[in-house]
Amino acid sequence: MQRIIDFALASRLLLIGLGCLIAAAGYRSYQQLPIDAFPDVSPNLVQIFTVTEGLSPEDVEKYVTYPVETAMNGLPGLERVRSVSNFGLSVVNVYFYDDVDIYFARQIVNERLQEAREQIPEGFGDPAMGPISTGMGLVLFYYLEDTTDRYSLTELRTIQDWLVKFHLQTVPGVTEVLGIGGYEKQFQVRVHPENLLRYDITIAQVIDRIRENNLNVGAQFLERNSEEYVVRSVGLASDVDDLENVVVKSQDGTPVFLHEIADVEIGGAIRRGVQTRNGISEVVAGMVVKLFGTNSSTVIGEVEAKLSEINVILPEGLRLVPYYEQKTLVEACVRTVQSALIQGIVLVAIVLMVFMGALRPSIVVALSIPFSVLFATLGMGWFGLSANLMSFGGLAIAIGMMVDGTIVMVENVDRHLRQARPEEPNTQVIARACGEVARPIVFAISIIVIVFLPLFTLEGVEGKTFRPLAYTVALAMAGSLLFAIVLAPIASDLLLRRPRGDAKEVWIVRRLVAWYEPLVSYFVRRRGVAALCALGLLAVGAIAFPFLGSEFTPRLQEGTIVVRLSMAPSISLRESTRVTQIVERRLMNVPEINGVVTRIGRGEVGAHTDPINSAEMYVLLQPQSEWRSASTQEELERVIRDELGEVPGALVNFTQPIAMTVDELLEGVRAELAVKIFGDDLDVLADTAAEVAQVVRGVNGAADVQVDQVAGAPQLVIRVDRQAVARYGLNVAEVQRTIRAAIGGETAGEIFEGIQRFPIYVRFAPEYRNSTRAISNLLVAAAGGARVPLSELATIEEIVGPRQITRENNQRFITVQCNVLDRDIGSFVAEAQAAIDSTIKLPPGYLVSWGGQFRLQQEANRRLSIVVPLTLLIVFLMLYSSFQSVRSASLILLNIPLALVGGVVALALSGQDLSVPASVGFIALLGIALENGMVLVTYLNQLTSDGVPIEEASVRGACLRLRPVLMTAATTALGLFPLLFSTGTGSEVQRPLATVVVGGLASSTVLTLLVVPALYAWFVPSATSSVERTP
Amino acid sequence: MIRSHLLFLLLVVGLILSTAALAEDHGDHEESVVLSESVIKEFGIELATAGPGTVSRWVSLPAEVRPNRDRLAHIAPRFPGLAIEVRAEIGDIVKAGDTLAVIEASQSLAPYSLKTLIDGVVIEKHVTRGEPVSQERGALFTVADLRDVWIDLSVYQKHLSELAIGQRVRISAGHDLDEAGGTISYVAPIINEETRTATARVIIANPDGVWRPGMFVIARVEVQQVDAAVVAPISAIQRVEGKDVVFVRDEDKFVPRPVTRGREGEDSIEILDGISTGDVFVTKGAFTLKSELARGELAGGHGH
Repeated sequence: MQRIIDFALASRLLLIGLGCLIAAAGYRSYQQLPIDAFPDVSPNLVQIFTVTEGLSPEDVEKYVTYPVETAMNGLPGLERVRSVSNFGLSVVNVYFYDDVDIYFARQIVNERLQEAREQIPEGFGDPAMGPISTGMGLVLFYYLEDTTDRYSLTELRTIQDWLVKFHLQTVPGVTEVLGIGGYEKQFQVRVHPENLLRYDITIAQVIDRIRENNLNVGAQFLERNSEEYVVRSVGLASDVDDLENVVVKSQDGTPVFLHEIADVEIGGAIRRGVQTRNGISEVVAGMVVKLFGTNSSTVIGEVEAKLSEINVILPEGLRLVPYYEQKTLVEACVRTVQSALIQGIVLVAIVLMVFMGALRPSIVVALSIPFSVLFATLGMGWFGLSANLMSFGGLAIAIGMMVDGTIVMVENVDRHLRQARPEEPNTQVIARACGEVARPIVFAISIIVIVFLPLFTLEGVEGKTFRPLAYTVALAMAGSLLFAIVLAPIASDLLLRRPRGDAKEVWIVRRLVAWYEPLVSYFVRRRGVAALCALGLLAVGAIAFPFLGSEFTPRLQEGTIVVRLSMAPSISLRESTRVTQIVERRLMNVPEINGVVTRIGRGEVGAHTDPINSAEMYVLLQPQSEWRSASTQEELERVIRDELGEVPGALVNFTQPIAMTVDELLEGVRAELAVKIFGDDLDVLADTAAEVAQVVRGVNGAADVQVDQVAGAPQLVIRVDRQAVARYGLNVAEVQRTIRAAIGGETAGEIFEGIQRFPIYVRFAPEYRNSTRAISNLLVAAAGGARVPLSELATIEEIVGPRQITRENNQRFITVQCNVLDRDIGSFVAEAQAAIDSTIKLPPGYLVSWGGQFRLQQEANRRLSIVVPLTLLIVFLMLYSSFQSVRSASLILLNIPLALVGGVVALALSGQDLSVPASVGFIALLGIALENGMVLVTYLNQLTSDGVPIEEASVRGACLRLRPVLMTAATTALGLFPLLFSTGTGSEVQRPLATVVVGGLASSTVLTLLVVPALYAWFVPSATSSVERTP
Repeated sequence: MIRSHLLFLLLVVGLILSTAALAEDHGDHEESVVLSESVIKEFGIELATAGPGTVSRWVSLPAEVRPNRDRLAHIAPRFPGLAIEVRAEIGDIVKAGDTLAVIEASQSLAPYSLKTLIDGVVIEKHVTRGEPVSQERGALFTVADLRDVWIDLSVYQKHLSELAIGQRVRISAGHDLDEAGGTISYVAPIINEETRTATARVIIANPDGVWRPGMFVIARVEVQQVDAAVVAPISAIQRVEGKDVVFVRDEDKFVPRPVTRGREGEDSIEILDGISTGDVFVTKGAFTLKSELARGELAGGHGH
């Protein structure tokens, strides 16, 4: 150690240069860090979407989902496969382990998709992978505002899909832009069946004729006068007129044109989603999806710039209005952490000034903050971490600890300088002073880093959430160690001066020592009292502990409220739009609400897969400063809940955009708790789920309990009667082709308008297919010119079928989801589990499993219960190797329970739960408490090994170490104060952590100062084993 | 340790509470929906008082306009000869006795006038000046009186049993032509072997000549018209748990009342059983009540 310090002092110029280089590199790295709101906790997954127009969930499962699922089995790095088969849409989520590269995963999924494609019958859709993005990829939503009221919803959607989308997709970092709302433009051919009859044409013939009459062909080239003329024949239909004049049949030389058997017009495609606004209008909207791994803030910034460019080229009166931007959240998070950092730095500087009583040593100490922070950002760049709430939160937490090493160093230098003989050169005094404390500092800081090790072992969501924090803390501490050992001695040598004449301490320290000395002497004399006090405190902690609830991570307030409406599964889009608009109007009554933009169902496939009975209402709020009826987001949610009241026929949920998406990707569920029931029979599953829901609802604290609406979608089943078909000389396929084309409609090519292309959709006119009776009267052309009504060929039946089929690992399941209010999830789950086990008998082959946030917490707990003791063991071994004494090591470890007490009490007093961030706080606390103990015990050992009697050594050592112990404690605590009192976005996660550390520091500091000296006599190492040497 | 004790305690308390809650749920489980006046208005729920009404049902059938065969005249030459003069053209309106053509008889070489037998329009003409004509070669002109026309309906087998002479029919041709009305005057006793349809006939007046023979039209036949004691709009009926129900207002509550369907019309239906005259029931917005009922079940136990 001494050698390093001597070397440092000798080659100061080189090292200062190196230090500046590190700082500069750190700053550069900081500028290049990607900035996100939170660490991205989305699972590593590839989504496979297959759109199968008009197919029922059972058939989607059978023909599409199952082949895709089975093709994915056995992929390397595969964690699990989950799927949802909806009406007309199959979504297969292929989850990979976190260490699998996403591009590799997509590549192998794509290879297997080829196999799956072969298994899917022709015309049942083509599976495609979702955007290369994550749950935090939906960075910006906008809608198209039409101030003129001149544009139809179809025109607006066309502008969105062919103008806005095209431009936005060129922004680097944007992987997809998904449109929703309005109508997609279509050339509709509405066939009148009686006209088919009149001209003796079938609908299949009509479709074929349209296809044939809509082509361009190339015919090579013509050579003329040494020039080549490319020959092309233009036969593409380009508008409604062209289509109307398609000749469908020619009878005795008289052409039958399409317009004689059908109305041709431009209309809106069938849609499975609507976007509404403020309860008064439908709008057209878009979602910008960010590419995996790109910098949110940059992408959003560029998207915004592009939006304003597009606004210029949009037709007069149209405007793009962003209604959700992750930028706001990113900015808010950055602001929270930044202000915490700055306030922390200021507070730490004040503490330094007060305790050191001089500017110069304070400057030396304060320098360690920027150095450590820049060192950490350099490391973040190296490890590819993004700047976000958690990683920068780690820096905020570490602020107070970064200075500790240097404080001890400088404090010792300061003291030595005061006491040094005048003839001794400064550099030598400093070298001696630094050498004295270098070793314990290295150990202390190493221990702090080591206690953060458990966080590195966390996996899944908790790992992704807290690992960045552990990284930055470890990096910052490493930086501070480097500074303390190498740069602090140099800085001290350059900056510190010997005090002139008066070598006394700062008055405040003297005053403190004056108070402290009698107290500590008292305790040293009466060890029993000290021990009793410690035990008493432990008892307080033990009493307070059970009062703590537990939860995974406090809910991050994203600043955007989403109200989710779930309506009856059989609802029509028109009715769900009507109900949604009623609810929107109710929301508009809340004065804090500026606007509401709602997505019902799904738009273009890629981000959302919701059915049409589900509406997500983005509530646009006034700035928080103008709120009158509430001051926090939670309070406002209550106000909104009250205003909404009961919505007949609909369930209302509150959630937030990112939380919602991430939760869904994680478990397919958007609630804190998900009970999954696995089995084969959909009816049995539904019944069991209803029973489970009923039991869960009875448990105290249950809120928003919902059963997945898997059933309840009415179906009109047309069963073709094979005998009847045979009688008329038909076959099933002909009947079904008529059913599909007449009722469902069929695409007969496309119309090109420049590069824009719009499908030609052939279907019966509405009045011939919009009721059961009309359908039963559909005419099927039979051999010999006979026309047979469908009801003669098939039975038509109304049944209730499944709305969606969810599968996981090749088995069907159904979910009951629930939020937990005013209670911790851990105990809630235990209670609910017991209640279900005792009341519900599961049929054989059926299985209940619990998921949601609760599952993550269990995983975290299990891992921590192994890793934490292991870490403590490592710490103990380090302490032992440092002190070569079990007793000293034990005495220092004694600090741990004393520190934990403070943390527990602080949590209990502030009414917070034992969450993962609180646990992280406890971990940080361990390190700090150990550091304090080490500083003190090292010195006591030194004194006793110098031959000072134990009692005197205890008192003297304690008094001498009062200043560094108090300083390190005060800087750490004050460094966290901003987090403790911050109300900004993201502070919810940091607060429990800060509470634990500050509370624990208080108790541990008091106890370190009073109990450790008192108990020292019992733990004093035997004289022979005293090792602490200063070579 | 302490934690697990507490958990156990909580569990026990929770269990007691939950069983108590369940017991209570089962106790006052009643299927009804309560909505406030403002909500009723907000959700556009409309009410009506049950009472008698007519239920009618219509069947749409393809049909064709034909000339009335009872008012058709074929004008043929009595003696063979040469057409030396042709006076009428297709589309000419003629009066009975008007000369359509002048024929020079081959035997007598005397010209005679070929006169129309009825008032009407010339719809066919098979003669050109100078052409030899004879009885064997058939009629030279067809004159139709189009003041009324036949509408021949193609009736599918499944509708035959429902069709009867005297039923009301609405005829429409689309293309901005006004509808015409009539009644079925004839149903053919046999079925065409090719098309497997029978012909039914409606005679409609055609004073302006807008119904041109050969036109393809749609005929909507009122196959059923009954007076029923209780009639409800079809939108009032919802299916709840496999049963047809109508929501009846009982003070502040809406109670789903199972009903028996009677004869069904286009947009109204006869209710045989379930609601009686004087009951106030939901005619529009019943779906809201149905889904609220389903939600209530989700939230309040299923009664298993």
